Amino acid sequence: MDAQLIVLIAGLVLLAAIVGSLIFLRGYSGKYTYDTKDGTRPRASEGEGNTLGVTFKGRFRLLTLGIGAMLSALVARLWSMQMVSSDYYESLSTQNQTRTVMTSAPRGRILDRNGVALVTNRPSLAVTAYRDLADDTVLVRHLSNVLGIPYVAALRNIQDNTEGAQARHTIASDVRRSTIAYVQEHAADFAGVLVDERTERQYPYGTLAAHVLGYTGTVTQEQLQAQEEAGDDDPNRITYSSGDVVGQAGVEYEYESLLQGIKGEQVVTVDATGNVTGQNSSVEPRAGSDIRLTLDLTIQKACEDGLAHAIEIAKNSGYENAGAGACVCLDCTNGDILGMASLPTFDPSVFVGGVSSEVWSELNSEESGTPLLNRAINGQYMSASTIKVLSALAGLEYGIYSSSRTTVCTGFWTGNGEANGKKCWLETGHGTMNLRSGIANSCDPVFYDIGRDFFYNDANPEGLQEMFRRWGLGSVTGVDLPSEAEGRVPDAAWKESYFSDWPADQRAWNAGDMTNIAIGQGDILVTPLQMACVYAGVAMGGVEYTPHIFYSAVGRDGEGDAYRYNGTGSKERLTAHINSEEDLALVRGGIHDVIYTTDTSLASHFTNLPVEVYGKSGTGERTDEDEYAWFCAYAPADDPKYVVAAVLEQGGGGSATASRCIRDVLGAIYQTPDTSSDSGNSAVR
Amino acid sequence: MSQASQSRTKNTLNRVNRSRSAAQGGWRSSVHMGVLAAWVCLMAFGALVVWSASLTIADASISRHLLGIGLGVACAIVIWRSDLRELANISTALLVIDIVCIFLPYVPGLSYNAKGMTGWIRFPLIGLTFQPVEIVKLITVFFMSSLGAQYNGRIDTVRDYLKLCGMLAIPFVCIIIQGDLGSSLVVFFAGAVVIMMSGARKEWVLSTIAVIIGLVSLILATDSIIDGMLGDSASLIKQYQMNRLLVFMDPTSSDSDEAYNLLQSLIAVGSGGFFGKGIGNATQSGSGFLPEAHTDFVFALLSETFGFAGALLLLVLFGILMLSTVRVAIKSDNLFLRLVCVGIVGMWMFQIFENIGMCIGLMPITGIPLPFISFGSSSMIAQCCAIGIVQSIWRCRTKSA
Repeated sequence: MDAQLIVLIAGLVLLAAIVGSLIFLRGYSGKYTYDTKDGTRPRASEGEGNTLGVTFKGRFRLLTLGIGAMLSALVARLWSMQMVSSDYYESLSTQNQTRTVMTSAPRGRILDRNGVALVTNRPSLAVTAYRDLADDTVLVRHLSNVLGIPYVAALRNIQDNTEGAQARHTIASDVRRSTIAYVQEHAADFAGVLVDERTERQYPYGTLAAHVLGYTGTVTQEQLQAQEEAGDDDPNRITYSSGDVVGQAGVEYEYESLLQGIKGEQVVTVDATGNVTGQNSSVEPRAGSDIRLTLDLTIQKACEDGLAHAIEIAKNSGYENAGAGACVCLDCTNGDILGMASLPTFDPSVFVGGVSSEVWSELNSEESGTPLLNRAINGQYMSASTIKVLSALAGLEYGIYSSSRTTVCTGFWTGNGEANGKKCWLETGHGTMNLRSGIANSCDPVFYDIGRDFFYNDANPEGLQEMFRRWGLGSVTGVDLPSEAEGRVPDAAWKESYFSDWPADQRAWNAGDMTNIAIGQGDILVTPLQMACVYAGVAMGGVEYTPHIFYSAVGRDGEGDAYRYNGTGSKERLTAHINSEEDLALVRGGIHDVIYTTDTSLASHFTNLPVEVYGKSGTGERTDEDEYAWFCAYAPADDPKYVVAAVLEQGGGGSATASRCIRDVLGAIYQTPDTSSDSGNSAVR
Repeated sequence: MSQASQSRTKNTLNRVNRSRSAAQGGWRSSVHMGVLAAWVCLMAFGALVVWSASLTIADASISRHLLGIGLGVACAIVIWRSDLRELANISTALLVIDIVCIFLPYVPGLSYNAKGMTGWIRFPLIGLTFQPVEIVKLITVFFMSSLGAQYNGRIDTVRDYLKLCGMLAIPFVCIIIQGDLGSSLVVFFAGAVVIMMSGARKEWVLSTIAVIIGLVSLILATDSIIDGMLGDSASLIKQYQMNRLLVFMDPTSSDSDEAYNLLQSLIAVGSGGFFGKGIGNATQSGSGFLPEAHTDFVFALLSETFGFAGALLLLVLFGILMLSTVRVAIKSDNLFLRLVCVGIVGMWMFQIFENIGMCIGLMPITGIPLPFISFGSSSMIAQCCAIGIVQSIWRCRTKSA
């Protein structure tokens, strides 16, 4: 349509021009005008100079003018290009013949707090060549045979420009030393084939702390885009280009800017076809910083082994769905994370050199238990009875449940009316319970009373939730690991908005909701790390330090710390207000009794430890699933240092299974293995 | 006789001798010094440029270039010694020779294909290659001049004017058919200058220009449609020619070879600065960024090496050459030779403006060599012949007895 229009217009222009010319030319069609009076004497039609010399003079002047105009136009244009814009073209010319090629820098290593390398680099030999090697088909064919890759693949790798057209293109990476030796021995046959020493991530302890360490991968398109959008505000920021290996999870991701080295730059001169003709200046690559984590290899191992051990116990006790869980060990005096385990786990080395899509989808599938999920910080569970320490503190502080008040547990609590009766986990009933024995026996009716009384308390109907939030539940701990979950402390407003498509009477906050969260059931969600922080607060009289995994960046010389976490090594997260020391003492007494007096079977595992341990079990109930086993503890009781929290998905009762994980970790810390053979399976929940 | 009067007599004698020898022909009367000087300087400059190109470009052989200069000088001398006035009367023969030369590359024994281009012949036995179209330019100038001279400096009827135009169209169309748009434009421009100088009215010329513009726009517009119906090879405008035109309109519009060539040429010229990068330091042309740096884009190489100063020197030399030739034409009293002279000036004007203009983005890209500078013997010999013709005209400027 467009083209036809142009033709039409051009045709009309042509027609107009022809018609115009014809009319114009008609006026001059006669050479002579005939004068009828004076006969046919020829007369000039116009008064222009008639003699040859005069007419030619004008024409030559025109021709000279034309020559002058032409030369002036050329000179003017040359002046503007060569004198005015010379610098612009000069820079284009320089740009034309130089290219900057990046050379990769090794990533920093990741060490535990004692300097044991958890992630290192191993040398990897790569066979590389410049692009023009592809022209030598015989050589490429020979090379592909030696390397054992298809000819087409080798050719494609040589011609692939993603590393930069003038960079050496990787033909094969991680090549066997014997193959490299063969290539180097026959250097004459492999002219132009180069061997590059590179580094790949190596994990000396296999899957150990995989969730904490994370993994590396090629920078994604989204990351590159985000970088582009962010702009160059920070001159120190590392700019990535396609193909760079960056941290994609865990510490590798969180401390990418420290671990990532600074790429070297090699300026090369090229000819018009892009072949490298010479090398100019070069800047050596600088390796990334080594960083030390707060992890202690021994404790980390104990967390993982203890978790696996507890799961094994759960499975042996008939909970065949057990298999996932998390265990975290904190230093409550500064927030150092000494160990953090999550099951199921994965092998970070599968990500080295790129992960296949099969493996990737398996790692993310529900069937394999989403092993990439770090359950210690991202797993959200109902807290179960471990939260009772906070419910007790709330009851005491708001005058809901005094230390002298008692509740008679019959196994079935009818405080909200017969119709809304709730069972205690011990259906035979605990008898008369006060707050301390309620905690010790994890007697639910005591806390049902607290929950109900808060609900009907006009002054502080949500005092319970306030207490939970005061201790850091419902908000992220601020741990320096990516994708931490914040959990949930449900209240009336939350229920109103969360179930917004329900009728008003059903989404109204009721006494049942309150009694549920008082024992850590219902809609409350916490992460294992949050609970560890709560118990650290209990141990420290209300002070919680921000849990962190970063200990320090190691100085360039390999000695000493260039930078400690937060400058000083610790950061206070919050100080929970304690109403009175007596309240805290009562609660501590309760969690002492949990371990040492309530159940001889549980006590037998802890009595041989050189320190006193305070702790609380928990057993979360979810419909259609086996119970979730919880246990949180800290030690030594008189001078708290270590806090351990563990959760086992569908792992049964907390005191029977999760407690064994806690015991194993404490056993590793104090070098006193669990010698009790009592598998009486403590029933306390 | 006194000493003084003796000396005076001797001086007078010398002066008379000098003026007599000048009047009787001699060096100055038979050779126009301006044309000669410009010609020699241009060839020397060209040889220097080609030599500098030969340092990095394998194809640019300085010895072959010097051979071309030698042959060209020989041809020029032969033509200079001959009297060209007789050619005025054999216009039909000139046309026949012209057309034969144009289609010479199609003669089976002679045709020679280089780099996918046609338009070359190879002399059997000696193995020399030659582009006849370079000579065709000069023959056409003679042909048109012989026709134009018949009107004695004034074309009075449109019929005569149109007849002249039609005659010019014959070689023009023949060269287009042969496939060399650039050369056909040179022939067209030179012929048009001859017609104008023959005494065509300004009004006729202007209306002809209007018709041509309309015709060209029609051809350009229909090109894509003809391409679609008959294929690219059948249409008047080839795809690469269309690309060149589009790139000329907007250099950044495409990433075709033409756009690349133009950009590299602009960079080469622009990065030269005032004094240039010096011989052997021309990175644009030396590292192969600039294509055809020793032939069609030789001006870019020259500008990069010698800068604005060198380019200006070149333009001054061309200016002297053309203005001197116009001077020769003015001095000549033979109308035919006058027209030949201005035809040659027209040829140079177009070739210089087009070639330099394309290097600096003023004109679309075409494959026309820069007279006396570009590497290539055909062009060099033909241009030297043109100098020989001009000098011959100068030698024969007065009516022979």
